Amino acid sequence: MFRDFRKIGTAVLLSSLLVTGCGSGPQETVIKDEGPKEAPAADQKVKITFWDENAGPQRTPYYEELIKRFEAENPNIDVEYVGLPNKSAKQKYDAAIAAEDLPDVGGVQTTWLADFSIRGALYPMDEFFDKWSDKDKINPAVIQSNRDVVIDKKLYQMPNTINLDILWYRPDWFTEAGVKPPETWDEFYTAVEKMTDKSKNRYGFSIRGGKGGSFQLQRMMYAYSGITDFYDANGKSTINDPKHVEFVKKYLGLYKTYTPDSDITNDYKAMVAGFDTGAVAMIQHNIGSYGEHSKALKEGQYAALPLPKTADGKYVVEGYNTNGYSIFKTTKHPEEAWKFVSFLASAPSQSYWNQNIGQLPTHEDALKEDWVQNAQHLKVATSVLQSPNTVYYYPGVHQPDYRSILDQVIDPNIQAVMSGKKTVEEFLNEWAATLEKSKQQYDAHVKTLK
Amino acid sequence: MSTFQRNMDRLFVFYLPMAITVIFTLFPFYWTINTAFKPEGDIVKSPLEYVPSSFTLENFRVAWEGVGFSTYFQNSLLIAFCTVFFVLIFATLVGYALSRYRFKGKGAFMLLLLCTQFVPGAMLIIPLFLIFKSLGLISNPLSLIITYTTFQLPFNSILMNGFISNVPRELEEAAMVDGCNRLQVIFKVILPVLMPGIVATGVFTFIHVWNEFLFAFMLTNQEERFTLPIGLSYMMGEFNVNYGALAAGSVIALIPAILMFAYAQKHLVNGLGGAVKG
Repeated sequence: MFRDFRKIGTAVLLSSLLVTGCGSGPQETVIKDEGPKEAPAADQKVKITFWDENAGPQRTPYYEELIKRFEAENPNIDVEYVGLPNKSAKQKYDAAIAAEDLPDVGGVQTTWLADFSIRGALYPMDEFFDKWSDKDKINPAVIQSNRDVVIDKKLYQMPNTINLDILWYRPDWFTEAGVKPPETWDEFYTAVEKMTDKSKNRYGFSIRGGKGGSFQLQRMMYAYSGITDFYDANGKSTINDPKHVEFVKKYLGLYKTYTPDSDITNDYKAMVAGFDTGAVAMIQHNIGSYGEHSKALKEGQYAALPLPKTADGKYVVEGYNTNGYSIFKTTKHPEEAWKFVSFLASAPSQSYWNQNIGQLPTHEDALKEDWVQNAQHLKVATSVLQSPNTVYYYPGVHQPDYRSILDQVIDPNIQAVMSGKKTVEEFLNEWAATLEKSKQQYDAHVKTLK
Repeated sequence: MSTFQRNMDRLFVFYLPMAITVIFTLFPFYWTINTAFKPEGDIVKSPLEYVPSSFTLENFRVAWEGVGFSTYFQNSLLIAFCTVFFVLIFATLVGYALSRYRFKGKGAFMLLLLCTQFVPGAMLIIPLFLIFKSLGLISNPLSLIITYTTFQLPFNSILMNGFISNVPRELEEAAMVDGCNRLQVIFKVILPVLMPGIVATGVFTFIHVWNEFLFAFMLTNQEERFTLPIGLSYMMGEFNVNYGALAAGSVIALIPAILMFAYAQKHLVNGLGGAVKG
């Protein structure tokens, strides 16, 4: 009997040793909230944690290089990089906010800003930003829109990348067919029709009917209508404006006739794969998919175009389409965190980063560099952003549930319209009503805060 | 019935459906392996190459060294083996108690064990995070081992109850007549007979832990502590999917599972049969 107990005891003891021996011991990086924000002694090394919200082999090595450069410039600051897979990053932040166990600095999408700031998770950067020598060189419209999106109008995110929706098309096929790349909506529909050749299993266009489709559809709708108010003066959504009804009928009407049958479940990857494997002549996406096209297609087989102009010749661009860095409120080292954020937002860092990931910087000096001017897709994007004929509309990203409405309510409804289960009018009225209800709740909450 | 007729019947009733099932099941594996050894440019080339025209190990290098699979692999192995170890010990003891003892509320206890399976893991993330944070166990493999053991124990205890119930009581009684006490009976008599059940339970637990993403991601804030499923999800960025490295990573992640099934196959079939009978 005793021998048996001894054996069990030994096994348990060994296993505990094995397990605890592999542990990390006390957490070095746990940040207690509301702690005193003391400046470290000059010779004391400070460790800050940085969460990258879209990590992967295409991006992480560039952050590692930037961190190396930063640490060489600031030998008393250590940056611990933690890469988060894109699809689960928001969920990770949500749990970390609830548990008040946040990093010092993190990559934050602008659409998350309202949600995070209303939950008191972010550290305002205004004081640091106002003293920063490069403050006037960061796109002022983007800085302003970042302030506008939060209730207290403070700066909670330093933008370092601007994105823009464009059309990707096959210049070789267009030339071969003698079709002009579309500049207006009429030309767009004509091109889609002419480039469709079902005998070659080739379609003129591909609609994103699956996950993420609502974002793209919304941008196309406003690019067509030219409406720049997301809500009118009475708080009514413009989503179901008659112009949008007209557009969606024609646009989703392309489905199956000029676009593949599988479009109803098209997510980003499927849509891009259709274009990259030569099944589709044109897609709508943003400059971010450049890397995928350049891997799969040869030079001359892909090029960018602005979204078509409105009837009165205007480009319509959705605001808040930026990414950047936030400092989190639980940080014990706001000064060091700001040093890192301002380093990442500086012209050399923005230039290095955006050139390698194929996106547009927000720093004026980086925008003037040759790599921006020589890349066709970036040139197109810059020309739209700098055009006097460009107007902006700002969607309701300040409503904390804005993103979940699009993901969970609108995306499935696009499929309902494509499959004929819902009319366009029903779909857009429901979309508008959901947004209006959310806006009323948000407005009521803001009133209570005041 | 002529021989020809018999052969045709066999072909259409047996061989053809079997062949279709095998192709249907194995094609995704073939495609993953095929993609893992293709250079990046060939993966999305049109027309698609069903047999690669060129061969590369670059995708494995990217996954193993670049993305850090070498570390994630070790972390996954450590967590999976420790969890299996604890689950097997506790599930055997709980299963034995359920099978051999009569006690008040036994039915309710079994029901309670089953009910734990209905709680969605996502609901428990924040409470678990807070508990482990207060214990200083965030980013520590111990937090995952405890979580997985807790989640796996109820189902595996019920499974083990089924296996143990199939072992004749007479065996135990004979051992006791020969002078064994209860613990000796469990370890010297029950355990050797229970091997198929232990293997089945161990394999189920291992596969579950090996593939688990949510808790591994949520309870870890340090990259060097991440596990394989997190490494795999790195390959799918917002705008970029590294199909080659994703396929190579999947092949790496598949190897232990395949080896384990290859070893445990025989026991597994016996084991599951036993559980069903119980």
